[in-house]
Amino acid sequence: MKAIKSIGDLKTLTEKLKIKSSADKKKVQICIAMATCSIASGSGKVMEFFKEEMPKQPFEFMIRSTGCMGLCHSEPTVEVTLPDSDPVVFGKVDVKRARSIIEDYIKTGKTIDGVIEGN
Amino acid sequence: MKSKQIKIALRNCGHIDPEDIADYISKDGYAALGKCLSGSREKVVEIMKMSGLRGRGGGGFPTGKKWELAAAVPGEKKYVICNADEGDPGAFMDRSVLEGDPHSVLEAMAVCGYAIGADEGYIYIRAEYPLAIKRLKIAMAQAREAGLLGKNILGTGFNFDIGLKYGAGAFVCGEETALIKSMEGNRGEPVMKPPYPAQKGYMGKPTNVNNVETFANIPAIINNGSEWFSSIGTEGSKGTKVFALAGKVKNVGLVEVPMGTSLRELIYDIGGGILNGKKFKAAQTGGPSGGCLTMKHLDTPIDYECLKQAGSMMGSGGLIVMDEDDCMVAVAQFYLDFTVEESCGKCVPCREGNKVLYQILNKITHGKGEVEDLKKLKDFSEVIKSASLCGLGQTSPNPVLSTLNNFYDEYLEHVTEKKCRSKHCRALIKYIIIPEKCVGCGACKRACPAEAISGEVKKVHLIDQEKCIKCGACYQKCKFNSIIIE
Repeated sequence: MKAIKSIGDLKTLTEKLKIKSSADKKKVQICIAMATCSIASGSGKVMEFFKEEMPKQPFEFMIRSTGCMGLCHSEPTVEVTLPDSDPVVFGKVDVKRARSIIEDYIKTGKTIDGVIEGN
Repeated sequence: MKSKQIKIALRNCGHIDPEDIADYISKDGYAALGKCLSGSREKVVEIMKMSGLRGRGGGGFPTGKKWELAAAVPGEKKYVICNADEGDPGAFMDRSVLEGDPHSVLEAMAVCGYAIGADEGYIYIRAEYPLAIKRLKIAMAQAREAGLLGKNILGTGFNFDIGLKYGAGAFVCGEETALIKSMEGNRGEPVMKPPYPAQKGYMGKPTNVNNVETFANIPAIINNGSEWFSSIGTEGSKGTKVFALAGKVKNVGLVEVPMGTSLRELIYDIGGGILNGKKFKAAQTGGPSGGCLTMKHLDTPIDYECLKQAGSMMGSGGLIVMDEDDCMVAVAQFYLDFTVEESCGKCVPCREGNKVLYQILNKITHGKGEVEDLKKLKDFSEVIKSASLCGLGQTSPNPVLSTLNNFYDEYLEHVTEKKCRSKHCRALIKYIIIPEKCVGCGACKRACPAEAISGEVKKVHLIDQEKCIKCGACYQKCKFNSIIIE
């Protein structure tokens, strides 16, 4: 990132980034928790899987590696936000569930197992 | 279910990429720094004072006051230190913040530097947190590149940079004077206060030390205003607190709730209740320096004062839930074992006193305790509390005193009846075969490593109590539930 020279420049940059992130809402957004605890319970494999599978899909997407979502009881956790929808958090995600997230939830919007309610 | 949470310190955790500064900036990251730099230093201190934020590392000292003290000390060179030496067993709040939102801590440290007149900051972090260290390094490099750390930040003429110092994972180094000693390359041993770090801290210069979670709250306070922050929480404890919910609770995890939330809401509504339908017995807050809360405290609002009144303390936010299978004497012994290990050894009450406490507890859990021991526990605890040099020793007997207060019956049973009602203390339990239920399959006999079980095939087996080492192997092997623990 280029050096931000003034407080005004920072404000402009923030606005620009906000516009970009609201544009991203048109994409399928996948946040994968990648904290120490998540990685220990296998989120690395889940990340690899999404990175490999998503480019094969016909929709626009972005994958974000985040910190801990606080849901230790259900690690690894993945938050999926479909275009213009509320985020849904899936728990205990392994490669099998990750496949089901893509095939069933993202593609057809079906409810599948492993949703963590009320998060 | 989790709607009772309000996320301030954890506002970005799980939502942004911690390795991408653009993600942080898009969430109004560094706006607080910009806001502060366009106003006076005094204004920043004023906002912090008005917010009512108190130190989240355990002590609960008002943050604004701390900054005011450090700002008032004259000096060309001052330091800001972030205490990331998280060491309570079962606590992982700071690690999560540093791994999930490192920029918020960097930004807050720069704000603090501006407020107190410091141009250099350090994060004292334990080497056992490699991922947090990696992400901090990335964040620091990105912030420097973006001109948000270093010389002439945002063109305002304010200089501030941050470095890392690694700790070797000593619990005592969470105490600020010991932390400073360790940073200076000396043994991590506390020194007498005063002088406080605000007067004479790192390298003898005025120093302000705050905890990770305290810092993580600050950008949100600056952006949303002190009134917003002080509208959350209770009279004396404003804002929210992050808790690492651990132990025998269904939804183990990291939660952030407004101050004043009750233990019941925390354990049952957010935590989903006790595992396997067991009964709640106690919750330990404040780690090895804290105490336990029991059934009668379930509806106590959790804030600094109420926890103190209940004989525990806020601590850094570890909350370990215990059920009916946990023996409270053994719990006290566990914490004392930790303290004995972690005492730096500088002062006698802590070094020797805690060892004696541990030995007495060990005697009791091994069925060799006497009634007088209970009084001894209390007496020794009082001496250690009043005569120790630093916070570690002054609070180390708390788990003993608090369990003695709340579970005196259990202690008494251990010493008089040699009984452990939770069936936890091995020396006090017996494995017994119920003759009516035993089918004589011999599985227990084969599993027993001590050859303590006799009996012929298809006949009732018997455990020789003299030989039994109470490993529980037979209990696990028996398919007919014919072995019971007494």
